[in-house]
Amino acid sequence: MSLKERLYKVWRALVWTFDPADRAEAGKAITRNFWLHWFPPRMTKRSLSWSYSLWLGTISWVLFVILTVTGVVLMFLYIPSVERAYWTIKDLEYSVSWGWFLRNMHRWGAHMMVAAVFLHMMRVFYTGAYKNGVSHAARREINWTVGMILLVLTLLLSYTGYLLPWDQLAYWAITIGVKIAESVPILGPQIKFVMAGGTELGQPTLIRFYALHVMGLPLAVLILFSYHMWRIRKDEGLAAVEQFRLAKKRKDLQIDTSGEEPVYSTPWAVRRIVLVSLATLVWVMFLATFLDSPLEEPADPSWTPNPAKAPWYFLWLQELLAITTIRTPWFTINGGFVGGVVIPGLMGLAATIWAFLDKSPPEATGVWFHKSRTVQNIVFTLGVIFIVGLIIFAMYFRGPNWKVYWPWAWPEIPEII
Amino acid sequence: MSDVKKKRREVLKNIGRLVGYGVLGGVFAGFARSLWPNVLYEPPKRFRLGKPEDLADGVNFFPEQRLFVFKKGNEVWAISAICQHLGCTVNFVQLPEPKVLKVGNLEIKEEWEFHCPCHGSYYAGDGTIYAGPAPRGLPWYYLEIDPATGMLIVDTSKEVEKGWKFKLA
Repeated sequence: MSLKERLYKVWRALVWTFDPADRAEAGKAITRNFWLHWFPPRMTKRSLSWSYSLWLGTISWVLFVILTVTGVVLMFLYIPSVERAYWTIKDLEYSVSWGWFLRNMHRWGAHMMVAAVFLHMMRVFYTGAYKNGVSHAARREINWTVGMILLVLTLLLSYTGYLLPWDQLAYWAITIGVKIAESVPILGPQIKFVMAGGTELGQPTLIRFYALHVMGLPLAVLILFSYHMWRIRKDEGLAAVEQFRLAKKRKDLQIDTSGEEPVYSTPWAVRRIVLVSLATLVWVMFLATFLDSPLEEPADPSWTPNPAKAPWYFLWLQELLAITTIRTPWFTINGGFVGGVVIPGLMGLAATIWAFLDKSPPEATGVWFHKSRTVQNIVFTLGVIFIVGLIIFAMYFRGPNWKVYWPWAWPEIPEII
Repeated sequence: MSDVKKKRREVLKNIGRLVGYGVLGGVFAGFARSLWPNVLYEPPKRFRLGKPEDLADGVNFFPEQRLFVFKKGNEVWAISAICQHLGCTVNFVQLPEPKVLKVGNLEIKEEWEFHCPCHGSYYAGDGTIYAGPAPRGLPWYYLEIDPATGMLIVDTSKEVEKGWKFKLA
């Protein structure tokens, strides 16, 4: 036995009380554990590698758990009423022990989750992980579609949570959001009416957004997440393993099969899941410790802050809807509909159905940047650059009255009544 | 089983299904309908602005209703402060000196303008949109005097043509 193996044995003896001796034991260790029973008993090393999946799906899920736990505590401290909501947030900041930390964790967790889910989608696209390779049972494009819905739900969770402090920031961001719905032809006014629970934002709006935020949307995420996980099992694992399946069928292709050997899920997968969870938790706690959440003045329907900006993940939409009003001599279409509904809707739809149309060969399944997918990867990247570029432009180059300024040359905001 | 019996069974099954789905659909339609409010606890659309002589000459802003009311001599008119793009409150901007603004074929004499802080819609002094994403100009509203109290009343559910002014006696 080499020294390395010897040291490893000591390490194992110190850290693991249970180390499966054979496949049967490894299987039981998974199937008889409530938390783990939905995992397979063994996984390939590549499925578990850092560099293939970047573990972004796990990170998204851990963030969801952090948000649920902090959210439940916040529910004990928050009152969804237009008179008191703002002041309960003030209390969180100034009079509740650790209230600021709770709120910061929830807010940073939410920002991180939007980012993590989006990056997860990018990873799946670039690795061609929505493709089925040579598997007959896999229908991974369904899981891609479910993922798209989960992305939209994540954005809606952020959006509904954004209103709850009932401060100026919240009030005007939601005003714009509700008006976007209203700008939809024909159905718009009814959609707005039922979203806001009236003709203007008020108590009915707050309680609706609150109910969606704490119950409706998390429940939908939970159900779809379970389905997402179930599908991975039924789709015969992560797309990375399609490489190994293909290599067995096609000796001529010279496929890289490193990381093909399966390892027991306990301890291999469990250890990494714990590691990723802890790292995510530490990161959110780090952000929450040093970066405070903003709270502006209480909501004032008579006065709009100048400029009024949406949260960063919606800024690209705000930029779009400010510049896409279509004027012809015969009719005018509000940019709220063009830039706020049609363009993002078409982009989402195109990304979703692409998984069903992608005709690249099976060897492009489950590998980063396969050369047969170069063109589509470039198009996808342009879409991402379009979104990120608009966000940066709207964040740093749009000043008072939504005019274009250099970030260091914002003018004094003129006196207004 | 005879064919007739089979067929009857099939028909009854379909009726059963239909009733089942119908009831389920009806219940959910009812749930959804409950979310459309029948009574709104909102400030009324028609409300008193006070005695006309108490209005300042020039601009008056009513924050709760988001409304500008202008008075000049014996004329009073009301223009909405709600941006027609996505509903932000527009800012009243007094021009340093009166000027004539050309919008298409229109020539608008103006002493002030309305600028929206959210997405940069610019309205001329009479509410005509001349720049930015708003699809239409700011609406003007109907004014009247309550004969019993002599109070000026505005009705923001009744839009009037641009340029419609109420003449005080």
